[in-house]
Amino acid sequence: MKKLVLFLFCLSFSNIFSQSELLIPRDAVTVFSINNVSLLQKISMDELVQYDFMEEVHQELFDGSTSEKTLKDAGIDFNQRLNVFYGKSDDAELSGFTFGISNTNNLFEVFDDFEELQSKYNNVKIFGSFFNNLIIKNNNALLIRIEPSSELIDAQTDSIWYSRGNSYPYGYEGDEFGDEFIFDEEAFNEDDSLSDSEEIDFPEALEDPSEKNYFELRDSVQLELQKGLLSKLLDELLIENTNLVTSDGVFKEQLTHPCEGTFYLDNSRSLGQANSLWYFQTIMPSLYKDIKELYTGNIILGDLFLKEHSIEFLVEARYGEKLGSIYQEMNDSKFDKNITQYIHKGNSAYFTYNVNMRKAYEKAYEVIMPILSSEKNSNIAMNVLALELLNELVNKDALFETYRGSMFGTFNGIKKVNTKKIEFYYDEETFEYGEKETEATEDMPIFTIGFSIGRGDIPEIILKNLGRLTSKFEKHDDYWVLNNAILDAAPLYMINKNGLFIFTNDEDLALNHSNGYGSNSLPKKIVKELKREGFMNGYIDIAGTLNRFPSDLLNERRSEMINSLKGKSGKMFLESSKTTNKSTNFKLTYEFRGDENSGKHLLDLVNTLYIFSK
Amino acid sequence: MFLTMNKILFFFISLTLLLSSCIELIDDLTIHNDGSGTFKYTINLSASKIKVNSILALDSLDGKKVPSMAEIKAKANSFAANLKTQLGISNVTMSINDADLIIKLSFDFNSIPNFQSGLKAAILSIRDSKQSDDSNQSNELNQNWISWDGKILRRNIPLMSLTISEQLKETDLDLLKTGSYTTICRFDRAIEKAEKSTTKINPSRTASMLKVNTYDLQKNYSLIDNCIYLTPLKNK
Repeated sequence: MKKLVLFLFCLSFSNIFSQSELLIPRDAVTVFSINNVSLLQKISMDELVQYDFMEEVHQELFDGSTSEKTLKDAGIDFNQRLNVFYGKSDDAELSGFTFGISNTNNLFEVFDDFEELQSKYNNVKIFGSFFNNLIIKNNNALLIRIEPSSELIDAQTDSIWYSRGNSYPYGYEGDEFGDEFIFDEEAFNEDDSLSDSEEIDFPEALEDPSEKNYFELRDSVQLELQKGLLSKLLDELLIENTNLVTSDGVFKEQLTHPCEGTFYLDNSRSLGQANSLWYFQTIMPSLYKDIKELYTGNIILGDLFLKEHSIEFLVEARYGEKLGSIYQEMNDSKFDKNITQYIHKGNSAYFTYNVNMRKAYEKAYEVIMPILSSEKNSNIAMNVLALELLNELVNKDALFETYRGSMFGTFNGIKKVNTKKIEFYYDEETFEYGEKETEATEDMPIFTIGFSIGRGDIPEIILKNLGRLTSKFEKHDDYWVLNNAILDAAPLYMINKNGLFIFTNDEDLALNHSNGYGSNSLPKKIVKELKREGFMNGYIDIAGTLNRFPSDLLNERRSEMINSLKGKSGKMFLESSKTTNKSTNFKLTYEFRGDENSGKHLLDLVNTLYIFSK
Repeated sequence: MFLTMNKILFFFISLTLLLSSCIELIDDLTIHNDGSGTFKYTINLSASKIKVNSILALDSLDGKKVPSMAEIKAKANSFAANLKTQLGISNVTMSINDADLIIKLSFDFNSIPNFQSGLKAAILSIRDSKQSDDSNQSNELNQNWISWDGKILRRNIPLMSLTISEQLKETDLDLLKTGSYTTICRFDRAIEKAEKSTTKINPSRTASMLKVNTYDLQKNYSLIDNCIYLTPLKNK
């Protein structure tokens, strides 16, 4: 046994230093490394290019040369890992793959648009096609797309443009987007976004045709920057031998895990690229530095295990000490067993979230206030003053007993709900018509969301007074109802009972089960598991939930995630461990039925994670 | 018709098509012996409030910006204000019941040519420059979809609605199955006959009504084409 372990260890160790993962750039923030690539042999290239993680390079692959070919036909070495990576720095965005090559000729039947470029690196061939580059070193390949950020391109272009004595390149600087433009529902049309000369004021052609206009100059700058960034990246990889494996011990260790695939996301580095933090980054750099420090060590690691009828995804969320101490306090909470009474055993999806907001607040106050207080900025100082006063003056007992933090949610499927409609009726003598209100039914997704509450009297005060303001609020024996609350058509029910405050559009729950579902609620075995486990747990019956979920009504990113899982069958379970000040572990189990291709399931999950982490 | 209304109508119809819901459209045309008359047009989406409101809550759908109710009202009022200025058009009223999602337009006209030209001009006034440059859409507006010679009223489906329906996906069309389109024509004197056998004529024979399913209409535009013959005018 020991020999076997030693052999496996040596095998995985030797793999690290001989395989394509040594071509993963240091700036990669997210990496999916698929170990058991043989699972993917039957995946067709046409199928592969449909995945979102292929979007950056798919135009090269999806040109007809790949039709009816599988990954196996593409000359890829299935004894090596396939690594998908994505990264974003201040200057550029990069994405790509690294993989082993078994047959170069076959590979170039797929990558037939790539032309060989001059290489200054020993034993390295470089090929290019538009913004995509293929780098081959010792039967290992890196397919990469690196794009300079638009901010960098604009800054460089403007600098050159104005230094040449040119004036503002866009013509009239006034308010060109009036109300008419805002209303225009066709403004998002892709194909007319650059074709309507009235919407975008293009710089006029110059008298000297050899002189570049602003956009021609911008294109040239973009191309040069891209070349420069690629050259810098390749120098790092091929001359300095600096890559993600050599620069990040955590990632290196992750690659040794004996599983079908691994996932790596360095949140501390992706934080810097979060668009929402640009204000802090530019206006309050020292505060930004402190926040970044708080996120140091914030890494999410995952291992994918493929079983006969399931995929297990084990995730470890690691934190730095300070952030970890907040999470630890937050998740140190006793499970509210009342919650389980309101989750029907037949619900197609539910989650429970069990936290202690009081403890989290106090720890966050202890950790974050010194950071804010040390900031020499008048706005921050005023905010600190406000926070300290609120901390002293607000009745925290009342506040955190009203909102304890623990909650649950369920998706009860699509149900018909009663609404009112206007119907026109006709006089058969004159064909004159009038209106009458009649009952109607419409399909609606049924959701329930509930919060643990220790002070049920406080929402009662609010509801009672709102009831005086508008007749839309009605009090019934077991619940409140707000008529026409949802999309001006359907009622919202509020149940304030048993230490829970529940919002739902499920009439059946409000009218018939305001004390819970009793014997039809979650089975005791599951309740025990929920009590034993960590702060977050969930369950989804994919066929019953995601396939019926109205994803049109979500924002683009969430809709993409839901759509990436649609069409599947099976169940997903999410469990979490107790949180320490260093990490929390999650386990996502995806059980699937039937004879669906497990390699495809793996790619589907990778794709969902890609969208999630992007 | 009278889907020539404008892009707001198009927007509402697009919404309806995206949803498994129903739309009720009523056009009510009164023509007096002298060619003057009244036109009333109603769009009823009250049976689809949840779905329409959920779409209105979005920023964009299928890559197109979804206008807010306030923007729709502003555009509709602009249309009505322009219609009021058109030659031979009077008593213009436009109402939008945003609680029940019912839009009503009503106006009087002094002749059929002024009715058509006034409506076209008002539609053109609220179209953006891109649409105005579109020769297909301009041709559609130049089409005469209604004619009246004092004895016979001919009407067909406007080209504009053909363009709209050509943009629809097959899956969208399926969703129109529960919608209805009702066209009513009223006259000062008796109707002799109607070309479409499905046309209902009231007992006093002064009004006709033709009701078609919106799904069938999308499949067969001629369902709404009709020709109504009136009895001769009595000489006083």
